Amino acid sequence: MNDLLTMIINYFNLAILAIGALNAIFSRALGISPGIKMLRDPRKNTFYFCGALTVFQIMTSVIVYFAAPMVDTLGFGAYRRFVLPTIIVVACAISYVVVIVLLSAVLSQGRFREIVQSVTGASINSAIVGTVILSQNYGLNLSESIVFGIASSIGYFIAMLLISEADKKICHDRVPQAFKGLPITLIYISVLALAVYGLTGHAIAL
Amino acid sequence: MKNKNYSLIYSNWDETVRRRKVFLSNPVFIKGLALAPLVVAATSVKNGLLLCIAVLFLLTPTRFVTSLITRRMSMPLKTFFYPFVSAIVFAFVYYFMYKYLGTQVLMLGVYLPILIVDPLVVKNFEKTRKEEALYSIINGLRNTAGFAVACLIVSAVREFLAFGTVAGFKILGVGILPMAQYSFGGFLIVGILCAVWAQMVKNYKHKVEVEALHNERFADNDN
Amino acid sequence: MTNIQRKNHDKYMLIATLPLIFCGTVLYGARVLLLCAIAIATAKVVDVVVSMVRHEAFDSTDHSSELSAVVFCLMLPVNVPIYVIVVSVLMAVLVGKHFFGGKDVYPFNLAALAMCCAAVNWSDKVFVAVTPFSKVDLWSGYTTGATVTTAGIVKAGGVPTHTTMDLLLGNHPGSMGSDFVLVIIATALFLLITKKITWHIPVSFLATCTAIALAFPRIYGFPRLESLQLELLNGVVLFTALFMLNEPTTTPHTPKAKIIYGITVGVLGMAFRYVGGFELGSCFALLLVNTLDGVIERFADGTLFEKKAQKPKATKTEKQSQPKEENLKKTYKAQPKGTMDIISEAEDNIDEVLYSTRTISLDEIRRAEAEHNARQKGDK
Repeated sequence: MNDLLTMIINYFNLAILAIGALNAIFSRALGISPGIKMLRDPRKNTFYFCGALTVFQIMTSVIVYFAAPMVDTLGFGAYRRFVLPTIIVVACAISYVVVIVLLSAVLSQGRFREIVQSVTGASINSAIVGTVILSQNYGLNLSESIVFGIASSIGYFIAMLLISEADKKICHDRVPQAFKGLPITLIYISVLALAVYGLTGHAIAL
Repeated sequence: MKNKNYSLIYSNWDETVRRRKVFLSNPVFIKGLALAPLVVAATSVKNGLLLCIAVLFLLTPTRFVTSLITRRMSMPLKTFFYPFVSAIVFAFVYYFMYKYLGTQVLMLGVYLPILIVDPLVVKNFEKTRKEEALYSIINGLRNTAGFAVACLIVSAVREFLAFGTVAGFKILGVGILPMAQYSFGGFLIVGILCAVWAQMVKNYKHKVEVEALHNERFADNDN
Repeated sequence: MTNIQRKNHDKYMLIATLPLIFCGTVLYGARVLLLCAIAIATAKVVDVVVSMVRHEAFDSTDHSSELSAVVFCLMLPVNVPIYVIVVSVLMAVLVGKHFFGGKDVYPFNLAALAMCCAAVNWSDKVFVAVTPFSKVDLWSGYTTGATVTTAGIVKAGGVPTHTTMDLLLGNHPGSMGSDFVLVIIATALFLLITKKITWHIPVSFLATCTAIALAFPRIYGFPRLESLQLELLNGVVLFTALFMLNEPTTTPHTPKAKIIYGITVGVLGMAFRYVGGFELGSCFALLLVNTLDGVIERFADGTLFEKKAQKPKATKTEKQSQPKEENLKKTYKAQPKGTMDIISEAEDNIDEVLYSTRTISLDEIRRAEAEHNARQKGDK
């Protein structure tokens, strides 16, 4: 009973860490280019995008968790750090193909067309790669790396919602011409990240 | 002579923008690519240089190899082929950087590995046009130069604001804005530099337009 | 609130800080006046320079920068270095106000932004308390009376020992102007009676803080009422409630939304206080809630999920001509395609919407707001 409680508290701490102090956008700045692009693209939906990101994150974490030790058995153990990105990319590709095949089998063509743009956009980006590398570096076990991945995606989703709320405030004609678009979005994120930092304090994100 | 240059630039502005990747279409300040390493990792000129070296050896070879192989590939396959090639190239780049530059490469943490899926390197978000092998090398080098300029500017500014030094040389005894070393300071400084860059590009474009129109109007008088 | 009321609000609030500045000067000496003057001067200079750079006439009726500068200044200890004030005010007024479009449209509370900036950059210089009537050097700020703040004592697990009377009068080590509880209450009552401010936000904020302080005392085994006294009369809770939460530019407009806004700031502020990295919770909380005021307004109207944030349509970038969104959809409809083709099309042409800058004119926003308010009145 006590062990279970400790485990739950452990997971909870990990999740809070991933959402707050190690937030994908505010603290680690991962996946910021595709994220901003997604918000500006009328054909993509934030919910589908972040949902797909979560699914890819979980699948990639699981695949990499089982595939990474295979490097050792092949005799490349000393070079694991250098080979890991390749494994992650392959894992991403596999999970993308699986998800697309499943979606195209389950959904009607119109619905599929609506979703596929968001899913493709979320398929491979630095948010997934960075998080998986971090969980490998921390030496998390399978369930921990899944919790870490889900919490990271939730943090990403929250950050995206907060940034998309800003549209009315930073897209009007009083904003100086040079700041319109990307620069003012970055400055807005900076103030948001400052506020989040006040709650969480400093965490080393490397 | 100089004025005629402006007319030439004005008449094929698109091509000029596409070529001048250091100034007119800077991959970082104008296109917003590769923001993550600059916002978090580029806190000192040393880190900035390491990022530049990684991009130099990663970007051009990746583009070259993919341009040779992916001629007849369809789009979804390409999307994953680019990162795959860049990941393999990166394995070698990372290994040799680690061997010759030592453990400070590891100080950059995840910010070197995530370059392999950055749109700057893999182009999977860009419009795909068929690239000749030679052109891909030139284009890759231009992109690298653009990234290097942006990266060095950002890292120098951040190091100066945070610690009062530039590349280790002491300029002020103390940092003016210590928050420049954190990620939110990075967002702020990159945002402001983006705006400054956009304004410079706008001014240049305006100048080109004015000069070109002036040339058009007074062309007969010269003859 | 109309434009004229907004202008007057800043002016009256600026006047309302005068008693606090006076009390601060009595307790801590002339350096209080010097620091406030420097803060105001910095804010004014930034305003003038920006109006010159943007080729606009300088608006002498806009006092929001000065108000924020003074409010920020009053939260600091008297021995704070001058450059802290200059850089923080610069950060708030230039970055927080003018980069986002200037008066009436800035999204974040400027005083809170300045305070957060100072807190993260120079936390060792900002979170200091100075004993009243200790000698402070006018220019360097050197003093022998610097001690730990009350919040710092609590964070370290100690129990502060000030009497209630001292707390009410502000006669304990603290900041320049945010500890004079009786003066703040009197000012607040005056502003409420003359209807310069409304009760919704301060009351809901303070009620939330009270409830949380009573329910969860920070010091284990501490009597609940004393815990309440510790939370409300120390730090900047009352000061925040009066001077920072009532700013019309960054707060919602309807009464219901205002109450929810106050509660949200209260809950988040106390959370930041209890578990946050810094002693000054409410400023960070305020910045975070500033980003949520659209959500809060929609929540108050009951339209949280109905009115989704509309995405900008793909605008034409200057030199490229691309098929419009409708045309793209038509082509999709006209020719049914396989999975691979659809994905290819999704990947293609994404570069064109890259950072497209949609602009809404300010009049449009105002008109929409007015329509919204009129509709609400009609409902009632």
